[in-house]
Amino acid sequence: MEIIIEEITRGHKLIARHKFLQDNINIGRGYDNDIIMADPHICAQHLSLNFNGEHWVLNDEDTINGSFYEDEFSQKKLAVHQHIVHSGQVFLIGKSLMRVIFPDHPVPESICFSPFENILNFTRHPAFLTVSIFLFATVTGWLFNLHNPIEATFTGLLVPAIGMTLMFTLWPAGVALVSHLTKHEARFWGQLGICFVFFNLMWVSDFIENLVSFNASSQSIFGMIVSLLPITLAFCLFWLNCHIGFQMTKKRRTVVAACMILLLFGGSYLIQLSKKPEFSVRPAFNTTLMAPSYLFTSSNNVQDFIENSKALFTKAQEAAKEEK
Amino acid sequence: MKGFTTLILLCISTISYATEQAEEIFKQLAPSLYQIRLIDTASGEKSSIGSGFQISSDGLIATNYHVISGYARHPNKYTIEIFDHQGEKAPLTLLSVDVINDLALVKRTTDSEMPFFEIAKSVPQKGEELYSLGNPHDLGMIVVPGTYNGLKKESFNDRIHFTGSVNSGMSGGPVVNKNSEVVGINVATSGNQIGFLVPHDKLLKLYQRYKTSEPTSIDAQMAQQLTDNQDKLITTLLNSEWQMRPLGEGLIPVVNIPFIRCWGESNADKADAIVSAVVANCSLDENTYISNDFFTGSIEMQYRYMQAKELSDTKFYQIFERQLNQVRSGNKAGKDDVTEYQCQHDITTPSNLAITNKSIFCTRAYKDFPKLFDVLYVAISVDKGDQALLSHFTISGVSQGSALNFTEKFMESISWK
Repeated sequence: MEIIIEEITRGHKLIARHKFLQDNINIGRGYDNDIIMADPHICAQHLSLNFNGEHWVLNDEDTINGSFYEDEFSQKKLAVHQHIVHSGQVFLIGKSLMRVIFPDHPVPESICFSPFENILNFTRHPAFLTVSIFLFATVTGWLFNLHNPIEATFTGLLVPAIGMTLMFTLWPAGVALVSHLTKHEARFWGQLGICFVFFNLMWVSDFIENLVSFNASSQSIFGMIVSLLPITLAFCLFWLNCHIGFQMTKKRRTVVAACMILLLFGGSYLIQLSKKPEFSVRPAFNTTLMAPSYLFTSSNNVQDFIENSKALFTKAQEAAKEEK
Repeated sequence: MKGFTTLILLCISTISYATEQAEEIFKQLAPSLYQIRLIDTASGEKSSIGSGFQISSDGLIATNYHVISGYARHPNKYTIEIFDHQGEKAPLTLLSVDVINDLALVKRTTDSEMPFFEIAKSVPQKGEELYSLGNPHDLGMIVVPGTYNGLKKESFNDRIHFTGSVNSGMSGGPVVNKNSEVVGINVATSGNQIGFLVPHDKLLKLYQRYKTSEPTSIDAQMAQQLTDNQDKLITTLLNSEWQMRPLGEGLIPVVNIPFIRCWGESNADKADAIVSAVVANCSLDENTYISNDFFTGSIEMQYRYMQAKELSDTKFYQIFERQLNQVRSGNKAGKDDVTEYQCQHDITTPSNLAITNKSIFCTRAYKDFPKLFDVLYVAISVDKGDQALLSHFTISGVSQGSALNFTEKFMESISWK
């Protein structure tokens, strides 16, 4: 009678899978066993599985730490003693978990290729990846030059550009490492490809934010709408990181990405809030300036500007009454 | 030789006469001259000192507002008292203030009629010898002879230019003529024998107004004075000639009025600068003291023209963006005095369509003086690739109407050549 025994982690992730055709299987640390374990809490002759013509029977070999199985109804761990096993049942020997599967055990439905897969495969193509990383490094260097009050040399820009690119590589590397540690496929190149696509999209998002901030007046709601753009992009990136690096349901992937957004943006908001002084004598206003070629909005006249300013006096006076 | 000897003898006799006269004046006026002390209630020690003098037989004493400002702003924290020439102390009550001219009227209780200073009926002649009285640095009452040099030209609110030492602690003390009549009140110094006095007519007005109607609240009286003064100032500015002057390729308004003074600077000497910059600043030289941490009544206008040298437009405007971050309030004020700024911005063009600006307007309200605000405006031209013009002003302690009228005229005045 065929039987499959899986070695699994505490999170029920598969470590190894063994298929046997014989009716008697021995498990233990001894080298004469069918499954040789390394866990020092397991005895040399620990557990045996015998097919009695009708059922597979599990029997502990009078070991020091014993063997246990999880009761399907009570969810309690019970000691193994001539126990008839069912397909899918998990048992504990030493500190190791094992699962018994019969050949007729149902398997979950096949997952069809995600529409992202083709895109993901494309982003990790060496040519695309090189262009993507080069683009990121170029934009980084250009921004360094832009924010530098004096003209910078090429070599002067090269160091921060490469440094920043390497720093941003840490994120996909970190995600791939976590994937690997949680017994998933690391897929480092896939993570790297998709991350740099989104890092470049972040630059685009920054540009759009600046463009709107420069063109829109303080009465406009466009500024607020556009500020959602980096949050959306970050959510998509985290969602895809989970998709590439971890096997999880769509719902779980969405929850994980949302939690990371909350942690990242909520955390940075809290840090800003904690740094904000109780009272600031300095006026806080929109300082975004861009070259005239980026000015698309029509100008307001002085009268309308003055009219809009009146509301500020009312607001300030109300604040004075409240704070007094 | 005989002539030289006569001249020396004449000089010696003049100095000797002046000293004698100063001594005579001091002896005669000492009973009506006081040191004013601001006492911290918690510690019981004096927190600051100044001088004051009696102006009526019933105990009315004149001094500077800034001497008793601690009590005016925080009556629960401080008390005020006088210390007379015999070393006697007496408590004071605050009756009225003129915050614009830095004057205050306080009163001591009296059982009988007391000697007091007469206030002059006429203005001194230029070059006339005057005697400043007060208690500098808590060293005891002194008399300092000096000269009347007329009114300070660059002052919106009249101040007498007095050539004589006015030191800390003499604030609020009287300045008298040979007839012992008060012609001014010590208020400030610029060092090196340059002192400033409040003209006697300001004290006379305050005294007469007090006799007509006593103020119901010092805060309300101060608010009214600040509003009236700033409205008068803005009206004067708006009705004055605004001369358009070139600043680089830009045209900036300069108000042709003596009390608004302008200064300029540029980086023309720096050949390696990536941006050439020309700056002009115009401001009112005076402001109004409310407390150590709170000043108002100031006006500042700043213009900055910048031209890029071999720079891309994007980088040029990035550099200019930093100029915006340097914009500050024009006056000193704290959390207890004002709210935080409320701001708005927009792309604007004046009616002559001569320039397109990114304009920012901010205001904050005064907590103790309703309907008074500090305003701040800054605009940066965004219509020329390699040139930009920054125009900026701040006005403190102004009403909404005055602030907006000034803003409108200012915005309409800036243009390219």
